[in-house]
Amino acid sequence: MISYLPTLLASAPPLSGAQVPPMISKLSVIVPEIVMFVGTCLVLMLGLSKTASIRRSCVGVAELTLIIAGIAAATGPSLVAESLLPNLMPFAKVLIAVVGLVLLLLLSGTVDRDIEAAAAVGRPFDVLHSNRAEFYAFFLFSLTGLMLCASADDLIWLFLALELTSLPTYVMVSISTSKTRTQEAGVKYFFLGAFSAAMLLMGFTFIYGATGTTQLFGETSIATALAAQGELGPIALLGFVLAIIGLCFKIAAVPMHFYTPDVYQGAAAGVSAMLAFVPKTAGFLALMLLVSAIGWGVDGAYGLPPTIRLMLWVLAALTMTYGNVLALMQRSVKRILAYSSIAHSGYMLVGILAGPGLAGDGAPSNGLGAVLFYLLCYGVMNVGAFAVVASLKRQSDDEAEDVDDLRGLCKSHPMLGWTMVASAISMLGLPIAIGFLGKLYLFTAGLRAGEIALIVVMGLNSAIAAFYYLRLAFTPMLEIPNDRDAPLVVTQFTMRKLAGAVSALGVVVLLPFAGRLATMSDHAATYTRTDTGVSSVTTALPEHASVEEH
Amino acid sequence: MSVIANSPGVLSTLASATASGFTFHAADAGPWWMALVPGLPLLGAMICLAMLLFKRDSGGRSRLPAHLVTALLAGSFLITLLGFFGWDKGAPWVTHVFEWINIAWGPGAGESLAANVSFYMDGLSWLWMLFVTGLATAICLYASEYMANDKGYARFFAAFALFVVSMSCLVMGDNLVLLYLGWEGVGLCSYLLIGYFYEKPSAVAAAKKAFIVNRIGDLGLALAIYLIFTTFGTVRYEELFAMVSQGVDGSGHALADTWQATWIPLLLMIGAFGKSAQFPLYVWLPDAMEGPTPVSALIHAATMVTAGVYLIARMYPLFLLDPSLTALHIVAYVGTFTAFLAATIGMAQFDIKRIMAYSTLSQLGYMFAGLGVMATNGAAYHVFTHAFFKATLFLACGAVMHGFAGQLDLRKLSGLWHIKGWRIVSIAMLIGCLNLAGIPLITSGFWSKDMIIAEAFTTPNGVIAGSSVIGWVLLFTAGLTAYYTFRVFFRVFVGPVEYVPGDEAHADDDDHAHGNSGHSDEHFHPHAPGLAINLVLAGLAIGATLAIIPNFIDKDHHGWVGGLLHESTAHYQSGFTHHEPDNEHALIDASTGAALVPVAHSAPIHPPATSHGADTPHAEEAVHAGSFLGMDPHKAMYYASAFFATVGILFAAFLHGPVGMWGLGLGKRTSAAVSRADAWKRALGPIGRWAEHKWYVDEFYALVLHAPLRVMAHIFHAFDKLIIDGALVDGTGLLPRLVGRTLRPMQSGVLQGYATGMAAGIGVIVLIVLVMTL
Repeated sequence: MISYLPTLLASAPPLSGAQVPPMISKLSVIVPEIVMFVGTCLVLMLGLSKTASIRRSCVGVAELTLIIAGIAAATGPSLVAESLLPNLMPFAKVLIAVVGLVLLLLLSGTVDRDIEAAAAVGRPFDVLHSNRAEFYAFFLFSLTGLMLCASADDLIWLFLALELTSLPTYVMVSISTSKTRTQEAGVKYFFLGAFSAAMLLMGFTFIYGATGTTQLFGETSIATALAAQGELGPIALLGFVLAIIGLCFKIAAVPMHFYTPDVYQGAAAGVSAMLAFVPKTAGFLALMLLVSAIGWGVDGAYGLPPTIRLMLWVLAALTMTYGNVLALMQRSVKRILAYSSIAHSGYMLVGILAGPGLAGDGAPSNGLGAVLFYLLCYGVMNVGAFAVVASLKRQSDDEAEDVDDLRGLCKSHPMLGWTMVASAISMLGLPIAIGFLGKLYLFTAGLRAGEIALIVVMGLNSAIAAFYYLRLAFTPMLEIPNDRDAPLVVTQFTMRKLAGAVSALGVVVLLPFAGRLATMSDHAATYTRTDTGVSSVTTALPEHASVEEH
Repeated sequence: MSVIANSPGVLSTLASATASGFTFHAADAGPWWMALVPGLPLLGAMICLAMLLFKRDSGGRSRLPAHLVTALLAGSFLITLLGFFGWDKGAPWVTHVFEWINIAWGPGAGESLAANVSFYMDGLSWLWMLFVTGLATAICLYASEYMANDKGYARFFAAFALFVVSMSCLVMGDNLVLLYLGWEGVGLCSYLLIGYFYEKPSAVAAAKKAFIVNRIGDLGLALAIYLIFTTFGTVRYEELFAMVSQGVDGSGHALADTWQATWIPLLLMIGAFGKSAQFPLYVWLPDAMEGPTPVSALIHAATMVTAGVYLIARMYPLFLLDPSLTALHIVAYVGTFTAFLAATIGMAQFDIKRIMAYSTLSQLGYMFAGLGVMATNGAAYHVFTHAFFKATLFLACGAVMHGFAGQLDLRKLSGLWHIKGWRIVSIAMLIGCLNLAGIPLITSGFWSKDMIIAEAFTTPNGVIAGSSVIGWVLLFTAGLTAYYTFRVFFRVFVGPVEYVPGDEAHADDDDHAHGNSGHSDEHFHPHAPGLAINLVLAGLAIGATLAIIPNFIDKDHHGWVGGLLHESTAHYQSGFTHHEPDNEHALIDASTGAALVPVAHSAPIHPPATSHGADTPHAEEAVHAGSFLGMDPHKAMYYASAFFATVGILFAAFLHGPVGMWGLGLGKRTSAAVSRADAWKRALGPIGRWAEHKWYVDEFYALVLHAPLRVMAHIFHAFDKLIIDGALVDGTGLLPRLVGRTLRPMQSGVLQGYATGMAAGIGVIVLIVLVMTL
């Protein structure tokens, strides 16, 4: 799907050319986003139509938009000459479009059920209270923001793109159900999100203050300024620390993780699935761009400046441990998945920490490639688990989100049951599913970077995680349904079950292609920086050497 | 020619060199359709499996699986025949199917492992494949009727077809890894089919026993393959035997006095002992009779258990590398001992299928003894004839079992010859018995067995120490064989008509029992075999008889089988015999320095070997260091073995023969249960009892191996429960839970709380970072 231009890569002049690319060339890299925007506007209007069939075409148009955007991304420029991660865009955008397609299936029927039911019996369509148009349009807006994150070459662009990703999700959470719990979740999410955005912006300000530019790369950019200074001064350091902490909210990492379980549980399952993927991907893309400006060092001295490295180290270890340990205590499948989402962010931080490595290191040792591959794995397997919850209701119209509701699901609803089994096994990282390879690449990247202790922590966490993932896998497979409970009702939205089936199939079917996908993600994570960045200067100092060898 | 590089270019020149006791030919590319030989049964196995998965097993109502697998096996047999005639004793065929394992971790020799799915067809492979596919087809046809009323019809034929696939890989593979795959595959199928009646505890136990005992042998084989790989740097026959024919290892060093030359054959031998049920690893085979009779006939008599013979025959050049022939000595002794031991046990058993099982053990012992005394030719011919007559015997026993509701006790059956519809079974049984007993001149079993015994006397004691003792034991055992074989025949098939049905009521017994439960003697009517069973039995009986023909064609090479083996890696007709001019050459050709060692060892006992060459092929007596009472063993054996066989049969007739049988009046038996033997057994006292209890070997194993292992298992179990599960697992599980419980209040659900938490987190991080930098 992604057209490779390896020859171009070889001839790409790094950090040269015009300081600001001409407008036209800039537009050419955001064709997918433009497509998305056009589609979004269309959906926004279609959703308000008085004719039911036109209103229903919202999903179709949204799907079509995503497909066209995906194709545009795949066939568009696969290399941005000046970027430090010049191949990132096509892969990231296609990934976003593909996972977005599945998420869209899962979101079907989330809003406006009452209004549509009323319209179906002949009452006039209540335009004012209808949410359909906003819901799908915001979904597309959020994905547009996500794609823009991948295209960002400037701190301001990056900030706006991140906010474009996040703001629609606040609304989507709030309108996903009519329950009080959902409103509460939306409010919490919004306030804490605003808080984190403030941190992020403050961090960006400090970076600007320290370097005098907001450009991420190019001739006059943060990267070149930092390289010229030779080390991270206190101001720049504070800026990066605050910015990374701000991004921790997007990826649901310690210390900005508190909202995750409450919001995931409060929102409709489909929206929770989206929250687990979209802001996380935005956060990791932003993190990659931001940290690449500091640089991992490319001349053999792997690694980030010690302070940043240590911070990411501690955050990764804390995040995965916190997520896994608290997931053990949960009864609610959605809360388990929320904590698991935290834990997976912790794993992926290892990839950021490990960095891209040298070009000759081979596919599995590029940490950024491993993160991109893991995002793909996580996007696929995560949807499956949420789809099961989204497809089941109790008689009382509540979501069947308790672990006990899953009992014997493989017998009573085989498709949903096995979907849950496949997703849980993949998230656990058993070798028969794709999640295993995702984790494996992170492991090898971490090992290559010499982060043995962190890899041990990660291994222990995988063992702890087995406890609750196996519960998610065995409860549907081995236990028998409780007779006292009323049987569960399966949703009338086949699309949701389809999303689950696609995801469950994906974790197994993608396995033979994993090598190819890993090569693609590795290629997408090519890091072109040839100067030594900040790290090699700082690592050259004797007092930092011991930390580096950790 | 002293140094050999591991490269194809050098190989082709080496391949034709004859430096050792065998000729190694370069291979030709074989036709692609040889891949269909395992391919068709594989298709059958997959279809049966699909039927199992997607259609509820119809409990034998649909005969589709049986007919399909039979047809595919027949196709496989036809292709084998076609290939065999196309091959016409040319160079070996190598049919490359697909690349399987190809790993290289360095550029040099021995730094890569290539094992493809390729099939290597030389005389040895052809011989095995001919009877494997042929018998499999016949027995599959038999099973289509035999298994008709059993649950899991499709399951049976899936495993059956898979067995043929595995056996084909084992025999046809062009490398040791593919052989090992087949080796494990047949083991798996054997396990599945022994435990076919998995609701019967004894069947499950037997399946487990077979699997576990086989593992010991398999370990030996795995180690042997590993050692071969580390020594020669390859597992492919073509490269391997090119080096062996030069007597050098992968880096060109002479192998003759290295420890590998001793240990590779010893480990291979252990592998062969496991699969071919030789002492002390034989205990699984009698119990394996819990499986359906077609399985016993095909897997546990005719084909799979001869895999060990195949392995040794295939690797024979490696066995000859060791100057002192340690492994061949052990093979000879163990084979002989197994032959004798199993025969004595077989004499005292009452279950006719078990008698046949012990007889299989005994005959396998003969084959191993033949390999040990350097009569690969005789061993292979015995495998071939034994496959036919033992399959006949088993299938006849199976027909009895099928007809008499599972009755197998020879004390409860008598006079089947006289029951209507049982004549074909009886005649087939008689032919099988005559062959097994080795009735002189007219039976194939006689010729193949004699080839081994004669060779034991021919091979000088200086080469295989005590080979004449081996010969005598084998001769005596031939008498025992004749006795226990005809004991069954005289008890079950002739004499007064009398039978007690077994306790396995068939679903269609009602038809015969006239509404009765089918268990009482008066109302039970034996269920005479139908067309498929009779057809197969008749065919196999004819086959067993015709198996004599190969002995009389191609006299230059000791018969047709010898001619086939001449074109294979098993080509080592002992150099001490008379008709092998080129072998004599090989023995005296010491110029390469890597010549076969027996030359040196046999020199004092066997002086003519150096003076006797191709020019005097008929000076037979001169070359015979070994002799039989001063006569040429090959000639004398006609009489000696005939004598022992006749005595054995007469003894059986005397003890078990019915009154007035054919006017001979030898026996005195008037009912099924009582015979003269009872008094004899009482007189023998403990010896008879010991033999009946299989010399208490199972009990001995239970005491020496099973009991200590059980005690150890209990100790480890307790350790596991208390320390591992208790302290470690629960302990480690406890820690995250405790941490979780501590952290849980942080998730209070209060917005301000969260914001405070986040702010505190940021504060701490910023503080730490700033402190670090300042």
